[in-house]
Amino acid sequence: MSFEMWAEKYRPKALNEMINQSEIVERLKSFVKNRNVPHCIFAGPPGTGKTTAALCLARDLYGETYREHLMELNASDERGINMVRETVKTFARIKSIGEIPFKILILDEADNMTGDAQQALRRTMERFTETCRLVLIANYSGKIIEPIQSRCAPFRFTYLRKEDQDEYLCSIAEKEKVKLQPDGLEAIFEVSGGDLRRALNALQAAASLGKPITSEMVYSVIGRANPADVREMLNLAMKGDFIGSREKLREMTLKYGVAGSDIIRQVHIEIFKMKDVPEPWKIKLADVIGEVDFRLVQGADDEVQLSSLLARLVEAGYDMKHAT
Amino acid sequence: MYAAWSFKHKPKSLSQIVGNEEAIQRLVGWVKSWEKGIPKRRAAFLYGPPGIGKTVTVEALANDLNMELVERNASDHRTEEAVRKFAGLASQSGTLFGKRRLILFDEVDGITGREDRGGVGAITQIAKAALVPIILIANNAYDQRLGSLRYYCEAIEFKKPAAGAVMKHLKRICDREGIKADEAALKFIAQRSEGDVRSAVNDLQALAQGKTTLTYDDVSWLAYRDRKEAIFNILRMIFYGKSADQAKHAVDMADVDPDMLFEWIYENLPHHLRDPHDLANAMNSLATADLYRGRIARTQNWVLTRYVIDFMTAGVAMAREKTQPAGFVPLKFPERIKLLSQTRAERHMKSAIGGKIKKRCHISAKSATRDILPYIRIIFEDNAQNAAHLAQWLDLDETMIEYMAGSKKQTKAIMKNIT
Repeated sequence: MSFEMWAEKYRPKALNEMINQSEIVERLKSFVKNRNVPHCIFAGPPGTGKTTAALCLARDLYGETYREHLMELNASDERGINMVRETVKTFARIKSIGEIPFKILILDEADNMTGDAQQALRRTMERFTETCRLVLIANYSGKIIEPIQSRCAPFRFTYLRKEDQDEYLCSIAEKEKVKLQPDGLEAIFEVSGGDLRRALNALQAAASLGKPITSEMVYSVIGRANPADVREMLNLAMKGDFIGSREKLREMTLKYGVAGSDIIRQVHIEIFKMKDVPEPWKIKLADVIGEVDFRLVQGADDEVQLSSLLARLVEAGYDMKHAT
Repeated sequence: MYAAWSFKHKPKSLSQIVGNEEAIQRLVGWVKSWEKGIPKRRAAFLYGPPGIGKTVTVEALANDLNMELVERNASDHRTEEAVRKFAGLASQSGTLFGKRRLILFDEVDGITGREDRGGVGAITQIAKAALVPIILIANNAYDQRLGSLRYYCEAIEFKKPAAGAVMKHLKRICDREGIKADEAALKFIAQRSEGDVRSAVNDLQALAQGKTTLTYDDVSWLAYRDRKEAIFNILRMIFYGKSADQAKHAVDMADVDPDMLFEWIYENLPHHLRDPHDLANAMNSLATADLYRGRIARTQNWVLTRYVIDFMTAGVAMAREKTQPAGFVPLKFPERIKLLSQTRAERHMKSAIGGKIKKRCHISAKSATRDILPYIRIIFEDNAQNAAHLAQWLDLDETMIEYMAGSKKQTKAIMKNIT
């Protein structure tokens, strides 16, 4: 029975419990041993243990009262410069009492911070190094400005290996008394690709039916969780149905609130998987996709930009058909 | 049960009627004058544009003065003979039970067609000889064929009530329907109706029925509903324009702001430019216009607006190479504007739940909404017991639970499990 989300229930509480990223974990352990932590950047894809590692580091360092020495902020929710000016500074400048002279500030999804906020943060990092160490967490370290990067120890997290994830999922299934069929396990890896949070969410959602988990159930859960059907949208466009594919796009962005940047990322992946697109075309399309991606960053409208991409796909589909 | 609000919330008393105070006073005075004997003019003739409460006034009047109202619609009694049958009523002075009688002959301008020859004459006869008050109603008092009729009547003009008065009426309906409506939203509907209270009420019903709140965003898109024809021509100028200049000129002719025109173009473009190359180039041009909008939003450099205009009009016009002008293509309202306001409540709910998840799962509210909420929703739909535990763990309130459960039945099942 689930009283909470398994991803939280089974989140490791100490560095020792972490099942992956062993090199990173070893280095973090040495920080704990030396009672000193530099500013860090944890970069890597979602569900690979970045936040967990930061929390474990703090807990190992300060013990059970770690909450008193730690602040967790999420840049996605408060991404402006005021967040740095007020919240971060206030926390950073006050000295910690206790054996360790500095506090830890975890700044999650830091790649979503505005440029101004990052500049302000850089000054704060310099001024309050004595009293506060930052752990910046990001999917892409490239989105963090150079001066901050150069002040941080970089850690690169990678997707979990299949054996590690499988073993972990099986142990949880056992604890939760859920029957996990081998094909179900395969399917979870296929849809999560080593993103452990996603894998656990899928497992828990599939388990809520109270039946042994098969691959079919996993796919059904994923289908229900991600109605955003990028593949179908692309197929409609390639077939020449621009209006139909634009409707799909609308459904995703407006009804399900999928961000344009997420759609474009999926489009990019899907285009390379499409079997009926001739290979040289894939590169041509990648160029268009890249341009749209860039425009989205520049503040253009998600739907309009993605529609223009769909129109290009309609054109490409037409040209492919008439070239042969 | 579905009932038209213009009917359901019809004023029952004169005090509930908005506007036309002066006209109503004159009418009341005239009806009351019958108590002292038959007045010089035996019929009253109310005229004015549709939907401003002429009929409603008479009905409320009869109610207030406790009179028996005999109501006939001229459209149903079109010939002279039919009118004469009706005339009998007017020659009796009261009912069996002593209630005084009031006769209403509505839409008299509806009987002036050729086949109704004699109808107006018959009504005139009745008006001259009536023994009880007769009230005639028409939209157009100066219709020549009604000329002789007007002469024998107390003519009272009804005018369009001011927007403020219409608003008052809308507010009363919202109160009775239990809808919390923004003042701005009601003002917008009232102004748009231009004094036609009935159409305002109909609009209100279409927009607000089944809701508990009504915001300005829910109603604002209506503004463009009326301008269809003008927009239609402007879009054709842009899609089929032969010169860049001509296409750009379309913007000056449109009485919508460039952002809204952009939406119209964006929505309708694919229905016109059917050739894949033309479509792709035109959409690319729109995307370029949109890129400039993004730059304006970031830099607040409004000078760049001229490039937005260039690309959304001339750029689109010049994209057409192979597509021939299509025959009639129906105009499509910019769907996403409607969708945006329709899905707003849902997006609010989702981000509120995302905020709850954030507190538990070390993740931003945004990512929580995107990555975790869908899975939790599956659990809510499939397993009431687990859902109840999660609801408590996340501290969700009942509306959130209802949203996640997806059905009333499942919500109940979950609530039962909450301790």
